[in-house]
Amino acid sequence: MKRSLMDILCCPVCKGDLALQVEKEDEKEVLEGKLHCAACNVDYPIHEGIPDLLPRTAQ
Amino acid sequence: MLFDPAQVYQPEADTFLLLKAAQAEVRAGDRVLEIGTGSGTVAAGLPPAHEIIATDINPHAVACARQKGVSVVRTDLFCGIQGTFDLILFNPPYLPTEPEERIDDWLEYALDGGTSGRVVIERFLAGAGPLLAPEGRILLLISSLTGLDPVMRLISRYGFAAGIMLDEVVEDEMLYILRITRAV
Repeated sequence: MKRSLMDILCCPVCKGDLALQVEKEDEKEVLEGKLHCAACNVDYPIHEGIPDLLPRTAQ
Repeated sequence: MLFDPAQVYQPEADTFLLLKAAQAEVRAGDRVLEIGTGSGTVAAGLPPAHEIIATDINPHAVACARQKGVSVVRTDLFCGIQGTFDLILFNPPYLPTEPEERIDDWLEYALDGGTSGRVVIERFLAGAGPLLAPEGRILLLISSLTGLDPVMRLISRYGFAAGIMLDEVVEDEMLYILRITRAV
């Protein structure tokens, strides 16, 4: 995902803003990392360039 | 990611009808959101100058769409998306499906519209308002199997107005592209 995508992503549960933590990035986009919702205290993964914003039910 | 093509809805007549409508509807500078992009065929088929974001709940579909160069987010409809969009595209699961007909795989999400065929369409219409720019347009594909009149009533109930933009007979059903805007 491109960093510019951050403007339109939100927590799927509380709709709050997310904080990006990058683990791996190339010149175009973030490949691995996390999107953290402080209000819910939940991390949503970014894997192979795709953010996964499904509720984390198993945590 | 290695994905299983058998778990991704492959482009069919409905896909190409929505693509045709979207190509005719999209304007320079539009911010576009496609819900339930599946293989990514529609999003990837729009002019590249437009900002296009796509979602799907199916992990195989988002991997497939990404391979086509689509900027894709895995989420349920638009649950993880905020902001406003000038054009929203949705080819929903529209087939009336009884509980005993359900197949528990990822393709089910592309097809199963609940008993009425309109369960996911109603959820979409109930939540789409905040994401639609004031002069924004929605292109929604439905089938005669989904029921044109009941869908039109749902559209009115959630504060929108709609007209039929395109239709096409496919075997024993009729496909419609509804062009939806805010009711004035």
